[in-house]
Amino acid sequence: MMLVLQVVAIVMLAPLVQGAMRRLRARLAGRPGPAIVQPYRDLGKLWRKEALLPVGASPLATLAPGLVLGVAVTFVAALPVLASTASDAIADIVALGFLLALGRFVLTLAALDSRSGFAGMAASREVTFGALAEPAMLLALLGAHAVGTGTRLSGLLLVPFGPAALLAFAAFALVTITETARIPVDNQETHYELTMIHEGLLLEYGGWQLGALQLAGYVKQLGFLVLAAMLLPGHAWWELLAWVAVIAIAITLVETLLAKLRLFEVPQLLASAVILAAASLGLRVLGGLG
Amino acid sequence: MVARVYAVAGIWLVALAAGAAALVAAHGAVQLGTFAGPIPLLRLDIGLTPLTAPFSALLCALDLAVGFWVVRRGRPVDGLLIALFSATMLLVLLARSVAVFFAAWEAMAIVSVFLIAAQHDRRNVRRAAFTYLAVSQSGALCVLLALALLARAAGDPAFDAIARSAPSLPADLRVAVLWLALVGFGSKAGLIPLHFWLPRAHPVAPAHASALLSGAMLKIALYGLALVAFELAAPAPTAWGIALILAGTISTVGGVLYALVDHDLKRLLAYHSVENVGIIVLGMGVAVVAADAGLEAVAALALVAALFHTVNHGLFKALLFLGAGAVADSEGTVDLERLGGAWRNLPWTAPAFLVGCAAIVGLPPFNGFASEWLTFQALVAALVRGTPAGTLAIVAAIAGLALTGGLAAACFVKVFGVVFLGEPRRAQAQTVPERADASTIAPLLLAALCILLGVVPAIAVMPLGSIAVALVGAPPIASASLGVMPATLALLPFAFALVALGIAARRGIRRVPTWTCGSPVGPQMQYTATAFSKPLRTIFAFVLVPERERLTEGGASPWFPQRIVYRTESRYLIDEVARRFAALTFRLALRSRALQSGNLRLYLAYELVTVAAIALAAR
Repeated sequence: MMLVLQVVAIVMLAPLVQGAMRRLRARLAGRPGPAIVQPYRDLGKLWRKEALLPVGASPLATLAPGLVLGVAVTFVAALPVLASTASDAIADIVALGFLLALGRFVLTLAALDSRSGFAGMAASREVTFGALAEPAMLLALLGAHAVGTGTRLSGLLLVPFGPAALLAFAAFALVTITETARIPVDNQETHYELTMIHEGLLLEYGGWQLGALQLAGYVKQLGFLVLAAMLLPGHAWWELLAWVAVIAIAITLVETLLAKLRLFEVPQLLASAVILAAASLGLRVLGGLG
Repeated sequence: MVARVYAVAGIWLVALAAGAAALVAAHGAVQLGTFAGPIPLLRLDIGLTPLTAPFSALLCALDLAVGFWVVRRGRPVDGLLIALFSATMLLVLLARSVAVFFAAWEAMAIVSVFLIAAQHDRRNVRRAAFTYLAVSQSGALCVLLALALLARAAGDPAFDAIARSAPSLPADLRVAVLWLALVGFGSKAGLIPLHFWLPRAHPVAPAHASALLSGAMLKIALYGLALVAFELAAPAPTAWGIALILAGTISTVGGVLYALVDHDLKRLLAYHSVENVGIIVLGMGVAVVAADAGLEAVAALALVAALFHTVNHGLFKALLFLGAGAVADSEGTVDLERLGGAWRNLPWTAPAFLVGCAAIVGLPPFNGFASEWLTFQALVAALVRGTPAGTLAIVAAIAGLALTGGLAAACFVKVFGVVFLGEPRRAQAQTVPERADASTIAPLLLAALCILLGVVPAIAVMPLGSIAVALVGAPPIASASLGVMPATLALLPFAFALVALGIAARRGIRRVPTWTCGSPVGPQMQYTATAFSKPLRTIFAFVLVPERERLTEGGASPWFPQRIVYRTESRYLIDEVARRFAALTFRLALRSRALQSGNLRLYLAYELVTVAAIALAAR
């Protein structure tokens, strides 16, 4: 029951977080920006609109929006926010990476199916950065985890905050920026197809299918923010909420202050995330530091 | 037609025998027959041990599927060779003494050469077969030496006797045997750096032969490694376990990187065999390290993971090779740059191939996910206690395995997206879509097994658990959460996907041309395999050392070329080392030609000297 509440709350809040971050970024750039509730209006409008797909696209392109949304919802259901026993049965630290890979696999295949060069380019970059982010994510979550308690996600809540957890958080923050398509890796608000990564995958989608994919992106983003917040001290739901707000503001500040990295500098960013995460895990196992 | 019926009957007969062997072996060791030959060294024993059960079961499933394939495709003589090949592999599993094992091992190697050299009128096929033969025979020498050392130490060439005296083996002899086994079996299994024959030999064989070579024969080599490590020379020391973990990690990451830049579908699949063999060897390494640290339950878990991945890789790799065979038959090429939109011509094979891709990437709820998840569980559990060197190796293995997962996903998005999705990349004659016949059953059967073992992993994990008890003496630590996890993970995604299909059917989807900024839409606008793998090729240039060549035929202005030729190729550093070594061997062989006079009396004299030397040595 609590699990359903958790899932519904995160899915309902996800567009709001997106709207707030977009509004804040506009304000920091000196623009008034759209209303905070604008994502809800956009989703409502997209739901009513007809879907379009390229001529000859396979059934994979038709089922991709549903599957990707399902992956995002399963992802947030697995986070130990309100019901850790129930959420631990859904996925653990290891399975989380494979789950996200399922969504990425289907979405990039659908992009290649669309016959568009832009979508193919986006798919190529998405799988590249996804592959580099995966070891960083796994090592960071293990580094923030008590040794010898298996790989349950609720194990993240058992560990007191310390140097190892701090390193793990730093690594995971870089992964979060990558996976939520934020500057300096990607830019959600770009209108220039050649620079798109996540948006590029959605280029050939329209109508309610695009809406489902956008909602999936918002839900996955909030899921990553919540997971990042779990690596910081304080694990009650209101503390998590406060940390989510802090991290979201920090990411928006980074987006305002930094420029996008050159494509081939992103691997260095992710490699440093892997090193930070491996250091955190090494510290946890060998140093015995909390 | 009659010959083909005999061939298929032969293949299915071996499948039946393998299935029966698996069922018997799963219930405990059985001695099937023994023959004390004229001299003790030639003692012949056959029997079954629990360790052989997963390998026999895999052989049974693969032979069943390949039999369906051979009914419709391939020459009858290939079918007979496949039956013979499977029988020799089964005999390796049945062997319980050094003489039987080595005879079966060599018979398997020789029959497989005939399979690889099926199209021996082509020069590259002959070269590949020769390279394979050379590596295989060098490896066999190491295997023979390892087994002979063990038999000598035990004073009896029967495996049961060797296993009984294994705990009292002198430490340096144990280390020597284990390293010889790693080189001998590792070269046959395709571990980096002894893998270079594999991407040459497996792709040139016909589809059903590649399916068995990758799906089954590599696994027989891994069986040999497990047999020595956990039975004949057990307990193996930590240092050797760490070597296995590192060799496995290097093979996984290296195999997937080379697969990423390869655009010959069958060679790419062969490199993925190197990757997956790495995952399995890594699991065995964790089992060795954990057992030596006194963590028997963790060792059992690692062993279950390794054996489960062995079965799983056999299933999905055979499926993918058969799918590649269907692509080659239908489209006339396996070159990724020339393929595209093959789903339309292969409405039955394409979904099965997609399942194979998802399984090899390790996506839930397919079987690859279950065994890779177990491998990660074993790695994390082994972090608890151990030497710093072991811990560092395990952290490296976790990072390497996670990276491999992502890179494998990238590679199979490339494969499926470029081969089966989009539009054909070249003008082709109107081809007829495949019809459902016996040969389409084979990939569908294997795909069904991949889904079954993925959704209900318990049917494999439970029996493998009891095998692990027999080998390391403890049941695997609780992996109960795996029981339902693949299903719960995949429930919502697949339910939502069905809902999306339902809404699409109800509301309709308008089909429009792809947006190409207003220029005419054409298949040449699709991303190619070379372009798709370009970022990873650039990022991992320090391993892959790509060389590229670009020729531009300009018209009036350099900015508007008439024609561009782009070619890129990786340099294989290990191949160059192997080539140097081969050149050295050839030079030595030429020198030794002086011994070969062709005079019969001289050869008799050689034999006399040899016999005299043996008699003196054995005195």
